[in-house]
Amino acid sequence: MELNEKLKKYRMSRVEYQKACDLVGHELDGIEWPLFSSLWSEHCSYKSSKVHLKKFAKLPSQNVLEGFGENAGVVDLGEGERVAFKMESHNHPSFIEPVQGAATGVGGILRDIFTMNARPILLANYLCFGDVKADRMEELVQGVVKGISGYGNSVGVANVTGKTEFHKSYNENILVNALALGYYSSEKKVFTSRESLPGHWIVYVGAHTGRDGIHGASMASQSFDGDSEASRPTVQIGDPFYEKLLIESCLEVMDRNLVESIQDMGAAGLTSSSFEMASKAKVGLKIDLDQVPLRDSTMSPEDVLLSESQERMLLIIKPENYDEIVKVFKKWNLEATRIGEVLSENKVYLHWHGELLTAIDPDLLVDGAPEYDRPFVEESNSYADFKAQSLTGADYSKTLLKVLSSPQGMSKSWIYDQYDQRVGAKTAFGCEAPYGVVRLPESERFIGMALGCRPEVMRLSSSLGAMDAIFHPALQLASGGFKPVAVTDCLNYGNPEVPEVMGQFKTSVESMIEACAALEVPVISGNVSLYNETAGKSITPTPSIGMLGLQSQEMDLVQDHFQEPNNPVFLLACPQVFWNGLWAEMNNIAPQASGTLDAAKVSEFINLVYSHAHYFKSSKVVSRFGLGYHLSLMTGQCGFKSSGNFNLSFDETFYQIIVECSKETLSLSETPSKPHLMFHDFIEAGFDVALLGETTETSDMIFDDNVKFKSTELQEAHQKGWGDAFKRL
Amino acid sequence: MKPVGVLRFLGTNCDLDVFGALESLEASPQWLWYEDQFNPADYSGFVLPGGFSYGDYLRSGALAAKAPVMKSLEEANSKGQPILGICNGFQILCEAQMLPGALIKNKGLKFIDRFVDLKSVTQSAWGFDQKIHIPIAHGDGCYFATDDVVKSLFDNDQVWLTYEDNPNGSVKDIAGLLNKNKNVAALMPHPERAMNSWMGSRDGLVLLNQFLELR
Repeated sequence: MELNEKLKKYRMSRVEYQKACDLVGHELDGIEWPLFSSLWSEHCSYKSSKVHLKKFAKLPSQNVLEGFGENAGVVDLGEGERVAFKMESHNHPSFIEPVQGAATGVGGILRDIFTMNARPILLANYLCFGDVKADRMEELVQGVVKGISGYGNSVGVANVTGKTEFHKSYNENILVNALALGYYSSEKKVFTSRESLPGHWIVYVGAHTGRDGIHGASMASQSFDGDSEASRPTVQIGDPFYEKLLIESCLEVMDRNLVESIQDMGAAGLTSSSFEMASKAKVGLKIDLDQVPLRDSTMSPEDVLLSESQERMLLIIKPENYDEIVKVFKKWNLEATRIGEVLSENKVYLHWHGELLTAIDPDLLVDGAPEYDRPFVEESNSYADFKAQSLTGADYSKTLLKVLSSPQGMSKSWIYDQYDQRVGAKTAFGCEAPYGVVRLPESERFIGMALGCRPEVMRLSSSLGAMDAIFHPALQLASGGFKPVAVTDCLNYGNPEVPEVMGQFKTSVESMIEACAALEVPVISGNVSLYNETAGKSITPTPSIGMLGLQSQEMDLVQDHFQEPNNPVFLLACPQVFWNGLWAEMNNIAPQASGTLDAAKVSEFINLVYSHAHYFKSSKVVSRFGLGYHLSLMTGQCGFKSSGNFNLSFDETFYQIIVECSKETLSLSETPSKPHLMFHDFIEAGFDVALLGETTETSDMIFDDNVKFKSTELQEAHQKGWGDAFKRL
Repeated sequence: MKPVGVLRFLGTNCDLDVFGALESLEASPQWLWYEDQFNPADYSGFVLPGGFSYGDYLRSGALAAKAPVMKSLEEANSKGQPILGICNGFQILCEAQMLPGALIKNKGLKFIDRFVDLKSVTQSAWGFDQKIHIPIAHGDGCYFATDDVVKSLFDNDQVWLTYEDNPNGSVKDIAGLLNKNKNVAALMPHPERAMNSWMGSRDGLVLLNQFLELR
């Protein structure tokens, strides 16, 4: 095969090829090709993003036990309890084959968690689909949900929260980001992938290696050219039953201290897991590729190295533990096979039926990978100045019902009713609530998981959108009395070789850091997905966020809908940015916005909300479509009646929160006639506190005599949207 | 009181939840591994937890029903010891023919996770007065049996629980069933997920206590 053809097959550029040749000291040969191709792919090497990701290290890290570089980040929650969590993308495979693409996304992220000896207890997903009427969209939605539910339900990890967006920028490139969180009780130890010593054995466990997913990592590092069908063979196939056995068996061998180090075989399979382990531990490896259990005996060593078959793990063990390890895996109906050993010389020797294929320094492939500071163009935020718009009563009434049933405003229960949200018996809030809540078994404290990133704000401005991606979930958590603890992210962007895209990426990372620094929360893990473009069109830049919050004060859970009649309802606000939001997009009006975010001020607001949350009976952060839309979502069990003139508008203000307090808490304030005094600290700090109205016995929502809604019509509108959007689902 | 045996198959995923719920009720649960046989006399009762044994491959419950541990459970059944099946446990008991009928794909063919309301129908010791609010989570929860079997279920007072608002198409809204002898009971909903008010309901306690009292 001539050089050009090889470069094309292995998706390498000429410049990178030259760099690789210089490093090894000769033209690439045989097995070196797939090694460099996969480990130097964007997916494995983070070559375009690393220079910016390093900036996350500035953030506070006193509670971080493991950060970037391990399979997942680990944070200390005190009282002996720790959690590991991470979010990861599976965008390209899910667009090619939605069921398996999404399923293996869940499987992969779970392995990142239990590899570290944390028992997975929580799943979440962040999904972006195209316009509901776009080509294949119904099939993609159905497939992705089937993939996530089929896998997550079967392995038995509760899916407690999610976010689903629809926008035409995702028509040809949907986003499927899966998050998993695992729990360590006080007696469990954190395992990593970097503990290996010469003389240790390398043991392969789990499913046999097949041809699925070969070249998956390099496929995910390229733009789509419109011919996604042809890429189907690069998608992996998942088996949740196998994964469940792998979870139990791996946790058992770690619990019994039978392994030294452990790593899952994810992107670029055996290649990346073995080379990264060797490079991190500064050791060498001798691997007999012919010892790898195969599904198909005609596979070549290159196939074995690159296969992304699912549900496989690599263990580093002391030889004396081998027999016991084989026994444990056998109990769980799995095989454990010795495939090599750890060497002191920092070189990886790959053998195939006795023949030495290569002996190469792993650092050349891992640390030697190219790193680019790609050219970028800062985005120019040009939009018209915001002018507030109020509607007449009749227009507002009609439109609110339309908004409630629009793809952006409708209930997503069709999706989450298919997820097991309560397996594990730890769930307090499932997908219906704005964030998920599970209870930690040992300390009986609650943790919250909120997802961030509103694509419509990203379309307005990457800096505003990325800060909001942190502040919005932080405020949601605070509104329930959860203090933000740590963040994971999944940075989904277009082609990094386009300077505008690189500019979005750089701005987003810096803005997220600004927001995290103000809140004093670290980013502990994450993933970057680039080349999310098809035929030259990029997606909305989408830095999806998973934020963990901890409730350590003694208080009741704060619900997201009104609880009892005759309670006062307040609006607490830190008004900084005003805009016409998604409402403008829906009406094809140019976006109007004014104001900027002052990170310090917003953080102060979030901290005050957190410290006052024990006063709240229910609360809700006001976001897309404004105040009336969110009040309507809170009614049902009780109604709402406005106490004064109500601003009938779909405009949006960052940041506002609706809170219901009980009558009893009002008497706590010094002057019951001036209930605002309970929120004295807010007023002192210059934030707005307004009495909106009160909850009512009847479940209706009344703004004034002319503008009122029956709760049943609100709920019907909210529920019927899905059927309007997807006729066959 | 002797311990309660909790059956554990490959892939079972509500095992720890049920074990924990029984512990909190001081029922001293003990694991019964799918490959092992046991002496029924060592236990006061048995629970088959829910959750995808063998990945629901072939049919839900079909492979577990053939596991060695089920031979001993059959023996316990013949001695009239109390046996409770939850969700996949219900499916396994049907596949093992310790309960009549079958659980087939939900009407609508989708997995459903939500809270449902139940009422008790039976006049036997398994019955109770109050309405129960607990979660379901299943893909194959539609109870099916032929007309004459369904008739015999009512004639023999074997219908334990029915749904107030049938979520899955079960015949006669059946959510829980008893065997003729009234020592075997099974239900599709998950009582172990409704043990505390923070879970959204404490009604699961009623059902588990009913089982424990019959030991």
